[in-house]
Amino acid sequence: MIACLSIPGFELRAALRERPRLALAPAALAPEPGTEALIGSVTAAAEAAGVRPGMRLGEALATTPSLQLVDPDPAAAEEAWEGIVRALEDAGFSVDSAAPGCAYFETRGVERLYGGLEPALKRALKAAGTGWDARVGAASRKFTALAAANVARSGQALVVSDERTREFLSPLPVGLLPLEAQKQEELKELGVKRLGELAGLPGGAVAERLGPDGRRAWGLARGGSKRRVRGRRPPAELVESLEFPEAVGNELTLRRSLGVLVDRLLSRQERGGRALRKLALAGRLVGGGSWRRTITLRDATADPARLRAAIAPKLADLPAPLVMLRLEALALAESVGNQLELVRPEGDELRAHLSEGLRQVRAGTGSGSVCTVVEVAPWSRLPEQRALLVPRDD
Amino acid sequence: MVAPARAASTARSARRLNAPVQVRVEAHVDGSPRRVNRSPVAVVREEWRVVDRWWTEEPVSRRYFDVVLAGGERAVVFLDEEVGRWFSQRGT
Repeated sequence: MIACLSIPGFELRAALRERPRLALAPAALAPEPGTEALIGSVTAAAEAAGVRPGMRLGEALATTPSLQLVDPDPAAAEEAWEGIVRALEDAGFSVDSAAPGCAYFETRGVERLYGGLEPALKRALKAAGTGWDARVGAASRKFTALAAANVARSGQALVVSDERTREFLSPLPVGLLPLEAQKQEELKELGVKRLGELAGLPGGAVAERLGPDGRRAWGLARGGSKRRVRGRRPPAELVESLEFPEAVGNELTLRRSLGVLVDRLLSRQERGGRALRKLALAGRLVGGGSWRRTITLRDATADPARLRAAIAPKLADLPAPLVMLRLEALALAESVGNQLELVRPEGDELRAHLSEGLRQVRAGTGSGSVCTVVEVAPWSRLPEQRALLVPRDD
Repeated sequence: MVAPARAASTARSARRLNAPVQVRVEAHVDGSPRRVNRSPVAVVREEWRVVDRWWTEEPVSRRYFDVVLAGGERAVVFLDEEVGRWFSQRGT
């Protein structure tokens, strides 16, 4: 069986963890800066007041003037989701994380461990933890498992047997299908509102009208294909962060801080000499909320200058000053080491001597005792505002 | 730059360089320092004021003194007029 663990409105729930009172009030996830003004997930109180996810911001505020907008906190959501996925992995499930708030896993391997399918699903719900209102659906196909998870109540595990798949999917709305809003509308205009109605149409006619996406949706409405779930390889925990004593918006300072984080990340022993393939740059914003960008490198590298050049331009997207900057290594290359150089570049030997000297100082005085001075506001009239002491352990 | 070993406890977060350190100062009637940490002041080399951030909720109003102590060492101390306490500071 394939199981799907779903947490509806996960990003809103993650953003509301800091302000739990708002969970009971009409609240919605605010649009990301620079994107179309459409609201994200909404709370139950907002839904009861007539606000729907994906509504235009103006329309939502006109419908419910007391609607509170919650700034997205992608870094907190990512962190919380990673915690849930790891808890599932610790419970023995091989997890394929589709998106924050939605994960698939095979139950076959752990059913004997927990004494059957139902106990295994209960164990998965327990691993997800309380407070998230997780639910689980299980079926022999991925889409049916997703549909079952969407139908299940909070804390419920709903199992759909193979022979009941068509009957189960038939009355569900077409909104469950991964189709663009425009094509969803087109289906509704054609009078197709339920999965059963779509599944009853000839496949060729659907493909002709809605294209390849429509043909795929038609296949899903009939239960979807039997594909196995491929569990992810858990990422190594390589994270370095830097907290600022006060908010920093100056790009030069942030670039210097990033340089320190890159050096620290590269010096971590867990890296085992492997180059970095994918990284995430995240930060906590001064007014609350967070910011996060992921960077996938065309060629995996452990060269600090190349890493800085690849990551630093992302700092220009910052919507507000930061109080904390974090760099995470999300994926490492498999290979270790690079082609050796015949002639070492000038200065390498001096740098090696300096590194060794600093290493000895650290060994004598402890981690964090070697620092770099990073200028923050050299023009300030207050001496303590001009520079920061940033520890470096590379 | 090598920081004191006791800084190891704050290993992962950045700290301010040249942060003010509270000192014990006895002042003359005119407000200039007479003793700094029980050491008599030999000469006041310079005096200046810094008034900043008056538009925020944390205004800064400091009266700085660059002094030479009886032992020959130099020190920069200031009276924080917002809280009425004396501090010494480097990097001025």
